[in-house]
Amino acid sequence: MKKIDIGDGAAIPSPDDKQLLSAWWIAFVGTIALLIALPIYDPDTYGAVLAFIPDGIQVTFEVTILSIALALIIGLITGLGRISENRIFNLLASLYVEVVRGIPLLVQLFYIYFALGRIVQVPDIVAAVIAMSFCYGAYMGEVFRAGIMSIDFGQSEAALAQGFNKAQTMRYVILPQAWRTILPPVGNEFIALLKDTSLVSILAVADILRRGREYAASSFDYFETYTIIALVYLLITLILSKLLAHMEQRLNYYEKR
Amino acid sequence: MKNVDPIIAIHNVTKYYDRFRALNNVSLDIFPGEKVVVLGPSGSGKSTLLRTINQLETIDSGTIIVDEHNLGDPGEDIHKIRMNMGMVFQSFNLYRHKTVLENLTLAPIKLRKMHPDEAKSLAMVLLEKVGISDKAASYPAMLSGGQQQRVAIARALAMEPKIMLFDEPTSALDPEMIGEVLEVMVKLAQEGMTMIVVTHEMGFAREVADKIIFMDGGEIIESETPERFFENPSQERTIKFLEQIL
Repeated sequence: MKKIDIGDGAAIPSPDDKQLLSAWWIAFVGTIALLIALPIYDPDTYGAVLAFIPDGIQVTFEVTILSIALALIIGLITGLGRISENRIFNLLASLYVEVVRGIPLLVQLFYIYFALGRIVQVPDIVAAVIAMSFCYGAYMGEVFRAGIMSIDFGQSEAALAQGFNKAQTMRYVILPQAWRTILPPVGNEFIALLKDTSLVSILAVADILRRGREYAASSFDYFETYTIIALVYLLITLILSKLLAHMEQRLNYYEKR
Repeated sequence: MKNVDPIIAIHNVTKYYDRFRALNNVSLDIFPGEKVVVLGPSGSGKSTLLRTINQLETIDSGTIIVDEHNLGDPGEDIHKIRMNMGMVFQSFNLYRHKTVLENLTLAPIKLRKMHPDEAKSLAMVLLEKVGISDKAASYPAMLSGGQQQRVAIARALAMEPKIMLFDEPTSALDPEMIGEVLEVMVKLAQEGMTMIVVTHEMGFAREVADKIIFMDGGEIIESETPERFFENPSQERTIKFLEQIL
């Protein structure tokens, strides 16, 4: 099966890749060991940071989940637009992708938060989610487009010949199969998005990084703080990549192995 | 047979792929219950002709009337017309993410609004008929080519079509699997189905066809009964084709 590789997400361990699997275990066990050992070694610094950031973990997850959900919806619409024969729909989708891909995420964040903030006032976390999903929706659109195009045209023809219209063909025949091709790159985007949510700490959103910076600013324990923050992010992405690898495995149920 | 209206009336149809003329002024009437086998060298336009009948290929000029519906009429709903025509492809094209049973029930449930239980029992009857009911729960990737094609025929029949279109149904099969597919098609012919079959299987053509259409260069060269076509071909291109293939 053709793999789509878009984005800079974490390497998702493939079940047949023993090398990667052991790399995953070493990283996973090492991260947990450090997260347990460091606070025991020095409870006043490492321990205090770890106790300070759980609120931030929750915020990071909220922003990530909301953004990815919205980005998937935007991505599906964009992907369909990019392959649509309707010229206006196609043009709008392509324009959106071109524009978003050309502007750094941080600039988009500032723009939506500060510039649009002068026109409409929205809560910080809402602005963050809008900016993140607006940006990632464009990447997702390309993933969806590639996934849909990877499905053999004979599948569409069979459905059309039975009397399904184009929308029904997409819904019942193409998308359920494309989803399997799409999942690995979507997983990569998901993990990349989770890491990129650290950018929202620049705004007033109290995510993991923001909470850490607050702690460091008052305690001056910079080294200890950022060590713990890095380990927490790493632990989350390691667990996520493992979960995604399992999902990918289960979506392969109908192909001979 | 001539006092009945044709179920398919193809009149002066021309089709271009860019500047290549795939069909040149083709006319053909097919009557209810008739079995028409289309023969011809590759690139002769026979698959294109078949695919214009259910509008998988559009035409540039001429008219095609299927079951009293003019396909060129913008008021006609092509999706409704297609529901009454089953199509079997060279490469099977079973829905890969669905089980054999689900391949048969998807369209009846979604398009005919058939109750799922009813669709399932109809599907089992059809799977029985093509001799593959023991594979109802399998996925297409687990079946042999011959099995997949028999399922594809059953899937087309599940919509209870009036017409069946076959586009080289045995061309992608290993030789030992061709027989099992042809057997199903012969059975279907005996039951009185209207069939249009593009194939290279001369034995099938001779046994089943009411009419043989021979195409070359996008034109119908000959339209004959099998006896006259095989025993007494009149056109030079037909003779050449038969010499090469027999």
